[in-house]
Amino acid sequence: MREKLKKFGLELPLLPTTSVGSYPKPPHLLEARLKFVAGKLDAEELHRLEEQTTREWVALQEEVGLDVFVDGEMYRGDMTTYFARNLEGFKISGLVRSYGNRYYRKPIIVGEVRWRGPITVEWWKFTQGLTRKPVKGVVTGPYTMMDWSFNEYYPTRRDACLALAKALHEEVKALAKAGAKIIQVDEPAISARPEELPEFAIKAMQMVTRGVDAYFISHICYGAFEFIYPGMLELPVDNFDLEMSNSELDLIELFREHPFSKDLSFGVVDVHSHVVEDTTTVEQRIRRALEVLRPEQLWIDPDCGLKTRTRDETVSKLRAIVSATKKVRKSLKVP
Amino acid sequence: MEILTASAGSYPRIGSRPEQQRHRQAYAQWERGEISSEEFERVQDEVTREVIEEQVRAGLDVVTDGQVRWYDLISHFTRKLEGCKIDGLLRFFDTNSYFRQPVVVGEVRWLEPVIKREFLFAKKISSAPVKPVMIGPYTLAKLSINRRGVGLAELAHEFAGAISLEVSELANAGAKLIQIDEPAILKNPNDFQTFEHAIEKIVAEKNGTMLLIHTYFGDAAPLYKKLVKLPVEALGFDFTYSPRLPEVIARLGCEKELGLGLIDGRNTRLESEREVLDVLKKILPNVGSKRVYLSPSCGLGEYLPREIAFKKLQNMIAIAEKAGELI
Ligand SMILES: [Zn+2]
Repeated sequence: MREKLKKFGLELPLLPTTSVGSYPKPPHLLEARLKFVAGKLDAEELHRLEEQTTREWVALQEEVGLDVFVDGEMYRGDMTTYFARNLEGFKISGLVRSYGNRYYRKPIIVGEVRWRGPITVEWWKFTQGLTRKPVKGVVTGPYTMMDWSFNEYYPTRRDACLALAKALHEEVKALAKAGAKIIQVDEPAISARPEELPEFAIKAMQMVTRGVDAYFISHICYGAFEFIYPGMLELPVDNFDLEMSNSELDLIELFREHPFSKDLSFGVVDVHSHVVEDTTTVEQRIRRALEVLRPEQLWIDPDCGLKTRTRDETVSKLRAIVSATKKVRKSLKVP
Repeated sequence: MEILTASAGSYPRIGSRPEQQRHRQAYAQWERGEISSEEFERVQDEVTREVIEEQVRAGLDVVTDGQVRWYDLISHFTRKLEGCKIDGLLRFFDTNSYFRQPVVVGEVRWLEPVIKREFLFAKKISSAPVKPVMIGPYTLAKLSINRRGVGLAELAHEFAGAISLEVSELANAGAKLIQIDEPAILKNPNDFQTFEHAIEKIVAEKNGTMLLIHTYFGDAAPLYKKLVKLPVEALGFDFTYSPRLPEVIARLGCEKELGLGLIDGRNTRLESEREVLDVLKKILPNVGSKRVYLSPSCGLGEYLPREIAFKKLQNMIAIAEKAGELI
């Protein structure tokens, strides 16, 4: 798909390096968010802090030397409630238990889901304005929004998912119109019920991406890939961003059996571990990927968003990615 | 025939009102070492009392202790067994809740009662009958990391041995009805024989109590024919995954007591009277036993906010009353 990128004027090096979406929020921003919720800080001041931190993350991505940037999602709480709060048709629930002593709030679909206007576009523009490197537009996909929300309005999961697809299509269009050439649709839940992939999840992704001229990535994680592969290749995107290091790379075996036909962003560092992978480990992982993929197909990134790591761990993990990738590029005899 | 209403497992331990934060606060304090295990235990006792009262107030005929003390359905029991260690978090089926995965490193042996004390406590304070709910041997074997080098069947058999000893203790302590959850069998129908043997082992030592095998998070219709032949008194079903199930039950009938999980335990939407009654009208004429339980499709503790869980139960009980007039 490098031709498609070229068509957009994107001359990326072989094995482009990037990150999935989120970076950690610094303590002062976390504090500010709490104050804002308690009504002790106004929206403008919070926004100013979010912009400042976004600037810092752009500078860090620049310094580390990544090829494709993200805005770091300083303005998001979590990936579903953020979009639910900005779409029509949603309420947010009381606390639901996740595990141990952890609780979260879940969106509830209470009416017709509709796109009110741009959600992430201003953030994309702001971030792209800070760098010459391409910045990904990142939205949460319709299947995940549906699966991670309560549904009091639509008769079926399919109806809810397709309504979300229609609304998110507008957001994706707005991102492309603003100039985003690379758009990522996050679908971590896509393998929740494998039978729904052919029933309506693929159709939903078609509705999101149809007619939009951009290079599409879909990030999928925590998945039971063995149940949806190779069927998931039918999803109409150019690149799959998959969690590999956390699944001990057994996807490689799946790809040996049935070749991977798209581009792949290969997760090479574990986002759940404090331990920073050394360059050699990362390099070995990349080389394993190259056993089953052509270099032209491959992008390199972490398994998932890095928001649960510290700033230092994040930067070190990104550095490991960049230096390992450079070594591999050298051995492939390309700049 | 009588239609009773029953809980299907856990109940939310915290709510949105300030006084309902107690469990969460105590848990955090206990984790930081600010309160002792005994103090945390006392808070868990209080919250257990609260959630039992709440279920009774909603009008349930059969309650649970809410599993307020359980980290999760899987590790609460296995961490007390010889031969099991507890590992990292894993997603529980297609939900957004997580459990700690057991690693089986040696022969699985039951050492002492695990939930008997909890049951006795709940029984003492509850004005309604309390149903202990445990995870079943097949699902345990399926969700564990098996470092034993023995097959799945043997592992399930060992877990069944441990569970049967617990069941027998619970029966001695006065449990009249015990629920065993076996969600994993729905997605692995080829393992049915393994599953069946494991259940038979528990049945052989159940000591006079009634067993209810409950499945959820999958379509039970394809397995229904086999499930009704299990040597247990009652079967529970999650109807939310299973549009064909009412028709299958109507066609094949049922001589066992039935747990009718017609209330979606994972969605905040309140069921309409009509949709539930329509299914009951289809099923009940073909059920030969003298009792059915209307219930949520699964435990509510991990899937609903507390205030919604309560409303769901109230709504279910109102529907059950209407259904009582039907028969
Ligand atoms: Zn992810």
